Amino acid sequence: MGNKKARAIASVLIFVLAAALIVTGAVGMSQRDSQTGDEILTAMRTRSVLIATGEGAVESYVAIAADEARAAAQAAGASMSEIREAVAAAEEEARNNSSANLLDYETADTTGLDAALETLNAALSDYRAEEAAAQAAYIAEMEASGALDQTEEEVDTSQITSEADLDAMLAEEEEVEVDMSGFVATERMNELRAIADEQYASVCTELMALYDTLDQEALDTLESTIFDIVSQAGDDFASEYDRFAAAGGSAALENGLQARIIRYGDDLIYVGIGLILAGLVVFFYPALIKKLGVPRMIIGLFFVLLCVVALLYDLSLSGLMSNTLVRMGMNSILVLAMVPGIQCGIGLNLGLPIGIVGGLIGGLLAIEWQIGGWLGFLFACVVGMAISAVTGALYGMLLNRLKGSEMSVTTYVGFSIVSLMCIAWLVLPFNSLELRWPLGTGLRNTIVMSDSTSFGHLLDNFLSFSIGGFTVPTGLLLFMVLCCYLVWLFMRSRTGVAMMAVGNNRRFAEATGVNVDRMRIIGTMISTMLGAVGILVYSQSYGFMQLYTAPRQMGFVAASAILIGGASTSRCKISHVLIGTFLFQGVLTLGMPVANALVPQSTISETMRILISNGIILYALTKSGGDQRA
Amino acid sequence: MGAEYVLQMKNITKRYGENTVLEDVSLSVRPGEIHALLGENGAGKSTLMNILFGMPVIHSTGGFGGTVSLDGETVNIHSPHDAMEKGIGMVHQEFMLLPGFTIAENIKLNREITRPNPISRVLGKNLETLDMKAMAKDARKALDSVGMSIDEYTLVQGLPVGYMQFVEIAREIDKKGVKLLVFDEPTAVLTESEADQLIGVMKQIAASGIAIIFITHRLDEVIAAADSITILRDGKLVAVRETKQTNTLELAELMIGRKGESVVSAPDRDKPHGDKVALEVNHLRVDMPGEEVRDVSLKVYEGEIFGIGGLAGQGKIGIPNGIMGLYPAAGEVKVFGQSHELDNPRKSLQSGLAMVSEDRRGVGLLLEQSIEDNIVFNAMQIKGEYLMGLRPLFTLRDGRKIRKVANQMIKDLDIRCTSALQHTGTLSGGNQQKVCIARALLMHPKLLFVSEPTRGIDIGAKKLVLETLVRLNREQGMTIVMVSSELMELRSICGRIAIISEGHAVDVLKATDTDVNFGLAMSGIRPNQEGGSVNG
Repeated sequence: MGNKKARAIASVLIFVLAAALIVTGAVGMSQRDSQTGDEILTAMRTRSVLIATGEGAVESYVAIAADEARAAAQAAGASMSEIREAVAAAEEEARNNSSANLLDYETADTTGLDAALETLNAALSDYRAEEAAAQAAYIAEMEASGALDQTEEEVDTSQITSEADLDAMLAEEEEVEVDMSGFVATERMNELRAIADEQYASVCTELMALYDTLDQEALDTLESTIFDIVSQAGDDFASEYDRFAAAGGSAALENGLQARIIRYGDDLIYVGIGLILAGLVVFFYPALIKKLGVPRMIIGLFFVLLCVVALLYDLSLSGLMSNTLVRMGMNSILVLAMVPGIQCGIGLNLGLPIGIVGGLIGGLLAIEWQIGGWLGFLFACVVGMAISAVTGALYGMLLNRLKGSEMSVTTYVGFSIVSLMCIAWLVLPFNSLELRWPLGTGLRNTIVMSDSTSFGHLLDNFLSFSIGGFTVPTGLLLFMVLCCYLVWLFMRSRTGVAMMAVGNNRRFAEATGVNVDRMRIIGTMISTMLGAVGILVYSQSYGFMQLYTAPRQMGFVAASAILIGGASTSRCKISHVLIGTFLFQGVLTLGMPVANALVPQSTISETMRILISNGIILYALTKSGGDQRA
Repeated sequence: MGAEYVLQMKNITKRYGENTVLEDVSLSVRPGEIHALLGENGAGKSTLMNILFGMPVIHSTGGFGGTVSLDGETVNIHSPHDAMEKGIGMVHQEFMLLPGFTIAENIKLNREITRPNPISRVLGKNLETLDMKAMAKDARKALDSVGMSIDEYTLVQGLPVGYMQFVEIAREIDKKGVKLLVFDEPTAVLTESEADQLIGVMKQIAASGIAIIFITHRLDEVIAAADSITILRDGKLVAVRETKQTNTLELAELMIGRKGESVVSAPDRDKPHGDKVALEVNHLRVDMPGEEVRDVSLKVYEGEIFGIGGLAGQGKIGIPNGIMGLYPAAGEVKVFGQSHELDNPRKSLQSGLAMVSEDRRGVGLLLEQSIEDNIVFNAMQIKGEYLMGLRPLFTLRDGRKIRKVANQMIKDLDIRCTSALQHTGTLSGGNQQKVCIARALLMHPKLLFVSEPTRGIDIGAKKLVLETLVRLNREQGMTIVMVSSELMELRSICGRIAIISEGHAVDVLKATDTDVNFGLAMSGIRPNQEGGSVNG
């Protein structure tokens, strides 16, 4: 009881804190467009411009002083070193003098400048908006003309060896580098630019009134700096605030805290939402633990934490989420392949690479014979499943002879087949230049599945649509649901029911006359065949087929995903597949950008991926003996 | 020594939770006597010995009531080690010997004779040299006293089972100051001649002044070896007898007795069974570990409830398991006149046999699946019922039909559950048993094997289960073969009861036969040819 009370109190405290944060944040946000917000920005903008101009003015003083000193020294016939000393001394003196009595920011009357900058800001905003529109139009035009295809193929595919590179690839795809050298400013842009220049002239008058030493020449050189400070493309309150603060403008603020609340209002709201979730977790802790189990709960909370951090770092959450969805779809069939394995009693099918290899061969054949599109995908699936059915049956027979030690056997079989196929990829007689190395023999490490000639992104793009930055890969998700439904149906058939009994209690099945060995072979076969389909779905979504050692880890990744989903080594459901894949891929997808934002230039996300996937498997193995949840 | 008794256990009471396993039991052993402790399975023999040895299982469950005194002094035995130091030794049923060591090493294990050496003087006693000669000498002496001439340097590995038993005894005798030895069913694994030899050794040991507690269920051995006898039944002391004043018949009667009121009674019938033979078993052998069936021949008539009884580990459970094909079996079995294929569970089920297994959680249930899935499993797999879809190409479980029949069964058998979807692993033992019965019933069997149906379930559930069996038999005419260790249950609902001992069917008795006859049969003696043992 005491425990419960403490939990209630703690959660109420958290809720109160969260509510306070959200209210503060919301108030702050609402003030952005109000007068307070405008005043803050105006004050900061003026101060930033003044500082920048002041620095310019100082520099011009210094330059003049240096010139005078040099001229004087030369006239006196001094040596080179003496001249240099004299110039340095003059520079120093000029800098000190001018900085000291340049301008007192606090007392200076900036009303005129405020107004001038405001109009300049408006003019520049128009210009920037027009510029962005014109550039977008230019890019669209270039894309339409097909100039982009070339840049895509220039990607050095041999570099892609790890999951982290895949993330980089996925990210890159969204901001394609376009050669902007051919871009020419439009007429409208020039007009707007002229208006902005006019406004600048009035700003210059105001500035010259404040800095008596400034001349027009110095102001001309300062023009682009001031333009950049005043306005940039896609400005909003936060970005302007950040820019002015970086330029030293925050010193102009009378109420720094209020300004900061206004600036970071959205972050306060995010943290508040995170805290509400945390409070709910604290409040419903026992129920959640019972329903979800400890590991799922931890991973789920971690996922939420990542979301909040991503928002705090202003990463595009909708983009990350749609990435998560894509990766969930592309991995889901591989994870689904674990289901028949667990249900027929061989446990985690870590020998999944057997099926993967079959699927890869199917895909390679489709490219070799240039069968593209839906037909190609279908062909690859059928061939892959046929090969995997045979290898899966043999693999099942092997497992039947080694009952009780499936876990280690599947692991080693998985490793062995990958190594064996490393030889096979070198010697298989494929002829297509898309598949072979340009020189020598053997297949490439990474094979591009182009959208046009092969079936790259076939499912991803089918019926896909986009809301805001959030793209839904409809075809991929539909295919995932279809596969899950088929497996679910199978599990309700007579054979499926018998198979589950074998996995659940072998002696029970034997006593009922179920052919245990046959059921295990069927389960292994289905698992392997799903592995073949899985890798094809994965590859088409990825855009590349990876040969050689790439499939080695895939069994482990799939196994950890289903275990996160709540399956044990003897029991699993389709829901475990969906939940597990989403959480696992979500954590990975969000983990990398967040980790990179926290610790720039690190490989921490790759380390984390390995830690999580192997840690989860280890955890599941400790649970696989005895301890069964009802 | 002075005291009249080397060991006195007075008014021992032991409860596990609410379950009283020993009530007011006393045991007194004189120095140098062989005292037999007799009782059926579950009579409380092992618990009494656990108390004597101070086993942790006793202390962790709240200790016991009563006193234990050695040589007249009340003692408190905390642990098996403590018991050993106080001079109590145990000859185990399973041998506790290291196969890779010599006999001498095994005898002196953990009590080795050592000599100091330079290293041990520095690093301590653990590194002293073994004095093999002295050890061998001690071992020789111990072996001689049990009448074994075998070389003390022989490895234990590969010794005949009987020899191992003697090595074990020699080890106990070699311990200094042993005054009481417990032999726990020492003759169970021995041949008859070895058993005779063992009894000789026991007498020899007793003659040297060491008292022996002899636990067994073989009545003839008791008469041959023991001086006095304590008989337990249902955790209560039944009688203490001097061997000279008793005989096997009396012992058998005392051991079995009438235990209270019968849980359930079957209405009598004019004609106990039909004339047709439902099941005929000839020379059945079943290789079931721990329940081996060596040679059993039986006939079960249509419409009867046939009982198979006997002590644990004698092979009664092996019979249904062997016939159903769960364990490798050989012999001739006819079901309703048709020859029956062994080692094929599927064929067994198809030919109208069904079984409720004694191992509910291991064999009987899918613990992680729902009640309804458990109930219909056999019918679905064997008969193809409760399915829909394009058969046989594609089938789907017929959820609606399954739910209907499951709810019907839950009602009929009074299965206490939240719904038909509850996982069987979360049900109580009695309800699990009912699920197993429901599963067998959906097969509409012509002959139902029920193995240990009341094991591990509470008394109310027991009654329900037994009544269900009687109802099935009386109302539907189902032939039932019930295997149970509970003789009382068998006698309350079965017409005829076969008693199995050491893998053989000793006799087929009527439920109304005397306790004496049942007692004798349980210890392997065929009642109508008194004195002669069936085994061997």
